[in-house]
Parts: sequence; structure tokens; C-alpha cells
Amino acid sequence: MKDIFASLYEWFGLMPLYSTDMGDQLRGWDITCTDYIGTPWYTIIGCSMLISTTLFYAIQYHIYDSTKFNKKHHWWIMALLIFCLNFLIAFTVPFNTLNAGDFCSQLNLNISDCIGFGLSNAIWSFIFFIIITTNPLIRRFSTNCRKTTFWKP
Amino acid sequence: MARLFVFAIGGTGSRVLKSLTMLFASGIKPNSEKEFEIVPIIIDPHKSNEDLKRTERLLGNYQTISNEVGLENGFFNTKITTLNNLVASNRLSGSFTFNLQEVGGKKFKEYIDFNQLDDANKALTDILFSGKSINKRHEEVNLLDVEMDIGFVGNPNIGSVVLNQFKDSHEFKEFASNFNDGDRVFIVSSIFGGTGAAGFPTILKNIRDAMNNRNIDGKGFLQDAKIGAVTALPYFNIEKDNDSPIQKSDFIAKSKAALYYYKDNVTGNNSINSLYYIADDYSGKPYKNDPGDNGQKNDAHFVEMASAIAIIDFLETPDRVLETSGGKALSPIYKEFAIRNDSDMIKFSDLEEYTERKLALRLSQFALFRKYMNEHLLSAIEKEAWSTDKPEINKKFTDDTFYRTNVSEFLSSFGEWLKEMSNNRRAFAPFNLESTVDVVIKDRTGTFGKIFKSKFDFSEFDNQLSKKSKGKTYSSAQQKLIKLFFDTTEEILTSKFGLKN
Repeated sequence: MKDIFASLYEWFGLMPLYSTDMGDQLRGWDITCTDYIGTPWYTIIGCSMLISTTLFYAIQYHIYDSTKFNKKHHWWIMALLIFCLNFLIAFTVPFNTLNAGDFCSQLNLNISDCIGFGLSNAIWSFIFFIIITTNPLIRRFSTNCRKTTFWKP
Repeated sequence: MARLFVFAIGGTGSRVLKSLTMLFASGIKPNSEKEFEIVPIIIDPHKSNEDLKRTERLLGNYQTISNEVGLENGFFNTKITTLNNLVASNRLSGSFTFNLQEVGGKKFKEYIDFNQLDDANKALTDILFSGKSINKRHEEVNLLDVEMDIGFVGNPNIGSVVLNQFKDSHEFKEFASNFNDGDRVFIVSSIFGGTGAAGFPTILKNIRDAMNNRNIDGKGFLQDAKIGAVTALPYFNIEKDNDSPIQKSDFIAKSKAALYYYKDNVTGNNSINSLYYIADDYSGKPYKNDPGDNGQKNDAHFVEMASAIAIIDFLETPDRVLETSGGKALSPIYKEFAIRNDSDMIKFSDLEEYTERKLALRLSQFALFRKYMNEHLLSAIEKEAWSTDKPEINKKFTDDTFYRTNVSEFLSSFGEWLKEMSNNRRAFAPFNLESTVDVVIKDRTGTFGKIFKSKFDFSEFDNQLSKKSKGKTYSSAQQKLIKLFFDTTEEILTSKFGLKN
């Protein structure tokens, strides 16, 4: 699980938005700089990203499920909320660690790493929201939003 | 499918037929043992009568809609067809109107070849048709000089002569040869004018005397046909106009004279199986005094709708109650119509239970359908799930003739019909047509929500439509429109407005 999320957030090594030190920290590199036995942030934040996006999807498509919130601009509002929330989560966690100095002293972390990870998490939440709302098999159970996607209605 | 041939005579006949069409469009159906196909035949020499033209147009749109979507969709679920559709030959016009020959532009004396009569017959004719009337230019003329293309101007003695051609017409022959065992006849007329008062007994007599008519087939069935009729006694007021041959003061005298005639020739000889009398002595808003030369366009009236309900009641009457032998009804029925409260603005709650049950839900459904189409459809199509589900109801659909002409025109006529009835006095005004959708039915408020109640609105309407259309299959967008809106409005009105099904 950790490796899957790591690959995703590091964009399969192609264009990571933060340093490899931040990657190690998120993999759980412990404060004593010995092994990956610290908190596995990739897994935690990855799961929170999936859960929060699914929750927002469920709120719009199945819980509220209203004709007053089923147009494409409503989709974009939800997407923006998901994006912001996941950015904040992924930014805040390493940022707090950074401020507290609660990490291996050999790692060189700075605020741009926090922003980069926040952006990665936000982008993946956005992509995940697109995936679950574009697939008609998933949204067909909604009454009023079963045709709602990012491009229509 | 058995058939009901509805003879709608004169202006009242056309207006009652219009009401009947509205009721059928709303999905009101007779609770009868068998299904009936309705074959309206309008009999009116006054071809430019606006009421007749409006009814013909309405019937045409009804027919197109029901042919397009079928009869299993709630709204428009009774088959209405022209006599022409029943016959193989192309001798008939294909319209709903019986073509009265040689009436247009002719004076009555020319019609009866007065100048060819010998002196004795001329003298007799002079005595029989000795009164005065007016022509199209409002000039006073002798009865014999009446031009009949504006109707019989309140002269049933002329009408009975002219309408007697009915028995020799192509229409009558086709009607007779297509009349089967189990079919029925219903005659709609008023008793206080010219055309209806003369036409009803004439048509009834020609049907019952079918055995003596050598020109027609199917005589046996016709002679013993189950025949019903509604005869409208005075029910509206007209403006006083001393120059007009139509006077309110004559209405009662004419009705009495006609009833006296009916006593021997309609009711007295058991010619009719079921006769509905309807009248209203409420002296309400007067109609314009128009003998017919200005097109005769009268506002729709509650009594006409009640007369249409008589037709539905007749269809609900079981065959065994309408037995006929040798052209005589074995147990004729006579009925009147009443409402629960003597109100001058009738709402559903003022109607008797049977009538309320018959009308309230279905008419409200159609009124709600109309409201949605007029006020919300364009903002919902291509946006709401119900509209984008296959088959799609999209902008292209609304540009198509079916919606743009047939449905829109029909709904517009329905709205006009309701407005006219609500502006008339006595009024039938169960709807707030211009209000918000939650209070569209008087004395009721539509709400939704289990814990927090909200006023019913178009958003909730869309929600209900999308719920209803989910997982359903429709043969075409046209069928979807009619079926989906019938099912949804029924659900909305029973669950959100508390109407009984």
C-alpha cells in the first residue's frame, strides 16, 4: 500500500513535486535515522485522500442528491473543495512536523516540499474524483446526479 | 374495441365535446366493463363557428398525440377517431364534422325549393315558417329568407327540416354500416337554441327508424342501439340586444316547447336509454349576444364539463341496464346533475364525492403537467437526469412538431379552457393557474420533506421526475414525455398534496 501511494505521489519518479528527503520522511523514515519505522504518512494521507474524496462524492451524488446541486458548475465547486481540503491535509502534516523538528536531522526538508506534497495530494484527489464521477456504473445509483460530470450538464 | 359515436350538435355540442376531450386528455377514464373508442361527429351548419373550429383543432391534436404515443400512458389514454378512419372508402372528409349539404350561402326557401311548390303547399309553408329572424347583416327577414350558414339562429323548426337530410347522408350510411353490437350512441345538444333543439330528436328518430331506411346496412344493431343523450337546458346568460333574434326571455319558452315535444317523441316513446338533463338558473356574467355572424365564440362553462361527465357516466352504465327491443328502451334512465355546495366559484370540494373523485386528481395532474411545460421545461431539459436519460428530451425534441405544435397547442387550449371556466359565472375555478406550483390547487399546499417540511417547487418536481424515470424504458421521447409526466404528477399529487387516487 505504502509503495503504491509513494509511486503515485512521486508521479512514478517522473516529476515529483517535492524532494526525495520529503519522500523518505513520508515513507516513515524514523527520527533516529535508522529505518522506515516511523509514521507511514503516504498510507495515511493516501487513505484520507481516498476517503475524503469518496465522502464528498457520496454527499453530492447520494446524500444531498438534489436538482439544486447537479450541474457541472456544482461538480467544479465540489472538485475545488476536495482539492483544497486535500491540499491542506497533505500540506499541514509535514508542515507541522517541520515546525516541530520532529524528523530525522539528516533529512533536508523545507516548506516548498510541504507545498509540493500538498499539491500532489490535491491533484490525485481531483483525478480520483474525475474517475469516480466519470464512470456511469458508479454514479448510476444517484437520482439527480446520475448524469453529472465535469463537462455536463 | 366497442365504439361510442358522439353526435355533438350546435355550439353547445362542440363545447361539450371540447370538455370531453380535455377530460380524456387528463386521463379520466370511464370505469366501464369494456373499453370504448370515441367517434365524435359534430353537426353544425355554422362552419365559421369559433367554438366548432377550436374543438376540431383540439380533437386533431389529441388524435395526433395519442396515435404517436399509444394509449397506455395515462394522459390521452382513450382512443378518439374520425368516422372516416373507420371506413374503407374515401367518401368522407376525414374531419370530425358532418358535412351538411347545400346549406352554405343558401336561404331556407331555396333549400326547400319553395318556388317549385304548388300554391297550396306554399300557403302551408308560409304558415309553418311565418316568423321573423335576422340575416348575416343584422337585417330583419322572414324565416323563409334566413341564410343558414350562421346556423338556424334559434329556429328549431328550420333546423328540423334541414337536419333531416342526415338520414340520407354518406356519413349516416357509413355510421350505420360500421355500427356493431355493443357500440353505443350519445347525442349532445342544447334545448334552448335552434340547431341542438332540432337536431337531437331528428337524429334519435333516424337511428330508431333505421329499419325503414332502405339506404343503409346494419339496421338491426342501429335500431336497438344503446343511446344516451345530454340535453342542456338554459345555463348561461346573454346580453340584452333588442335587434337580435336571440333573447334570454325566450330561453325558457323554447325549452318548454321542446320538452313538450320530447314528452311524446323522445321520453314518452322510450326512444332513449339514458337521458341527462342539465341546467343552471344562476344568473351570471352575460355572454355577448351573437346570433352567429361574429363567429360565436363563447367562454367554456362548468355546465359543459358536467355534460361531458354525463358521457363518462353513460359509458360506465352496464349493458344490462341499457337493454333495447324493437327500438324501445326497456328501462329508460333519466338523470340530473348536482353539486354539493351552491358556490359561484366551484372548487373540487364543492363537487359531489363521485365527481370530485373522478375529476380532482386527473385534472390536477394535467394542470401540473401544463404548468411545468409552460414555466420550467426549457430550463430543465438537457440538465436534469430525467431529461438526459434515453430517449432524451432535449432542445431538438422541443423544436419538433409533436411538442411544438401538438402538445403545446393542446396545453395552451387546456389553459384557455380552465381560464374561461374560472372567469365565467358560475365559475369552475379549482386552480390558481398563475401562482407558484405549491399552491396550484386551491385549498391545498404541496409540501415535501420528512422532518423539515418545504414548499413543493420545480426542483422537487425534477427530483420526482428523475426518480420515476430511473431504470425505466420508453419506446420514444414522445411516449416518455406523456407517460413520465402522468406517473410523476400522480405520485406528487397523492404524496405531496394529499389528493386521493
